Amino acid sequence: MRFLMTSTGKQSTDEALYIEMGKFMEELTSSGVLLATGGMDLGTTLFEAVDGTVTVTDGPFAEAREVVGGFALIEVRSKEEAVELTRRFFKIIGDGEGRMHRILD
Amino acid sequence: MTAPDAHRAIDAVWKFESTKIIAGLTGVVRDVGLAEEFAQDALVAALEQWPRQGIPDNPGAWLMTTAKRRAIDHIRRNARLEDKQKEIARTLEQQGSDEHVDDDVLRLMFMSCHPVLPPESRTALTLRLLGGLTAGEIARAFLVSEQTVTQRIADAKRTLAEKRIPFELPPRPELADRLASVLEVVYLIFNEGYAATSGDDLMRPTLCLEALRLGRLLADLAPRQAEVHGLVALMELHASRSAARTGPSGEPVQLHEQNRGRWDQLLVRRGFAAMLRAREIGDPPGPYVLQAAIAVHHAQAKSAEDTDWPRIAALYGALVRQMPSPVVQLNRAIALGMAHGPQVGLDVVDQLVRDPALKNYHLLSGVRGDLLARLGRHDEATREFERAASLTHNAAERAFLRRRAAAGAPPRVEATLGQATREFLAREDLDPETVRSYGQTLRRLCLDLGPKTPLVDITAGDVLRVFAVAWGTAAPKTWNRHRAAVRSFRTWASVDDLSAELARKPESRTRRAPIALPQLETLCEQSDTALREQTLWWLLYESTVSAKTALSLDIEDLDLPRRHGQFTRGSESHRLSWQSGTAVLLPRLVEGRCRGPLFLADRRPAPSRMPRSADLCPDTGRGRLSYERAEYLFKRATKRLDPSGAGYTLHQLSRSGPRREDP
Repeated sequence: MRFLMTSTGKQSTDEALYIEMGKFMEELTSSGVLLATGGMDLGTTLFEAVDGTVTVTDGPFAEAREVVGGFALIEVRSKEEAVELTRRFFKIIGDGEGRMHRILD
Repeated sequence: MTAPDAHRAIDAVWKFESTKIIAGLTGVVRDVGLAEEFAQDALVAALEQWPRQGIPDNPGAWLMTTAKRRAIDHIRRNARLEDKQKEIARTLEQQGSDEHVDDDVLRLMFMSCHPVLPPESRTALTLRLLGGLTAGEIARAFLVSEQTVTQRIADAKRTLAEKRIPFELPPRPELADRLASVLEVVYLIFNEGYAATSGDDLMRPTLCLEALRLGRLLADLAPRQAEVHGLVALMELHASRSAARTGPSGEPVQLHEQNRGRWDQLLVRRGFAAMLRAREIGDPPGPYVLQAAIAVHHAQAKSAEDTDWPRIAALYGALVRQMPSPVVQLNRAIALGMAHGPQVGLDVVDQLVRDPALKNYHLLSGVRGDLLARLGRHDEATREFERAASLTHNAAERAFLRRRAAAGAPPRVEATLGQATREFLAREDLDPETVRSYGQTLRRLCLDLGPKTPLVDITAGDVLRVFAVAWGTAAPKTWNRHRAAVRSFRTWASVDDLSAELARKPESRTRRAPIALPQLETLCEQSDTALREQTLWWLLYESTVSAKTALSLDIEDLDLPRRHGQFTRGSESHRLSWQSGTAVLLPRLVEGRCRGPLFLADRRPAPSRMPRSADLCPDTGRGRLSYERAEYLFKRATKRLDPSGAGYTLHQLSRSGPRREDP
């Protein structure tokens, strides 16, 4: 089953963190768990469609202390595996916030 | 966290970590049965402690430490302490985090797929040890009882111990056979999931996913084996079609009727990437690489009509020579039937009917029925479909075959462009080269005008429009070749003259004009031309070697002061030399570097697309500049110079050099 994860956190300049993160990503990529990943601008654009009229509102809606965002599309056997991977992810990046949505097939 | 939640979380950790733990322990205690027991002890400890204390920071390390402690206790408790065991206990105590764990995992894989084990034990043991699946999960996947699986695993471990199968990578002479056995196990697991041999569902996705994981793991551990990448490519590409393979009520949808929009493009791309890795290794293609190449052709076809059947039939021909199995022959017959007409396919199938190995193989009847139906022999086709339906054990497939048997003769419909194209190309009086050439033309017409368009609705104007866009800027020779295809097609189909508006173009014998020296100078003087591009262009112009050769050069190959370098083509060594234009640029390009690729890409490659180390700069980590990128940059830069507006090619540039004109 596939999950889309998004996360926000503080910017870091810690070299060791980058190396550890790189290793983590590489392991997940080669095992096929990580299907796609990338950074994300936190400036959000919100769309609302009401009675056929689409309203577009430009964010930011995230709090200012969170300065970097990222997403990952992963393929795992169970929700628990996705949770475990997310836990490992935050162990590396430190404080932050994340969301996870199951992709329906 | 409630207890069941905690157990599921622990199970997730276990599935990530168990292989490494079992492999690491087997590396020390040399008995896979014992190693698994200690690992299981650690799991039991986790199930007791984690729900109360929470999951530790590094759960993998926790499990490993606990398992090792159990192993040490066990050895110490053993009354007859032999020296060897003391040594093992010492090793376990001293061992830090194990860097060789990857090798141990690979050894474990070779062990669990060892040919001394019967095939069903190999798959069960592999899923258990390398997939972290429980006996219950394996039993559900293979639709057998849990007890059977437990028994198979226990027997397998006993056999490995009794036959003293060493925990090691196979020695060179055995490597090919042993690797084949590992690949076979992985593919068996995949196929059991992809084309479930029994049960109600057509597919069991769990098994496919497990096999894919095992394949990717193996590709990571044995990256120099082309067949490993071939198998991964094959599985990724087959898996990409999963969603499209079954209809709303679970019935199978055949490849040519699948909605290609539902193919999983992520997996297609992974498959292509794996195939490229296999090709880069450069070994002659083995059975998995050949099968993957066939899957690649299907994945590349935009529609069923677009499929390059002659090429696929040829690949099956190569596969038959390596794997002369009747099932491969049957697939070759299908491809031949599509490439050269149903009668050609049927001739091959009719020989297979005599093969006793296929006497209960439902697909043989299914394929024969299909070919007969296409030849209009509907009574015989119905009998074959009924026979196939009674032979299959899969409920979804049975229902499908029954429906085909009941369908009988299809209602005659007005011929569409797609149908006419298929029948035209299936004629037996055309040689393969002609079929291929005509196929290109007609597939383009199908693509642009729609394969479902009735043939009678197509006008000469429609054809001209397609030609103008597709081949308007191509060489006259190309245009005339496509024109000839349309003329042949319209004669055969006895429709209006579809080529009426296509004028024949005069063919000149000259090549595309060479690029003059002043043009190259102008190009390089433009302020946005990077040093790398300037150097490459001058080198191609002055040395006249091909762009591929130039891009393959390493800095070690060059002698800058003498203005020459060497490269190998096949097994021969060749020389190239250059003049002042290149000579002033080269030292600047290599400045500070003394090895690795001469022309580097702008960025470092992503971890998932890491090229071989020979294509990486050891100092900067950047990869070798690709031909595609170099060609694109040159075309972009020369757009303004080229009267046709398309831009020049690097091939043209290297043929423009001084020595060609003045030998």
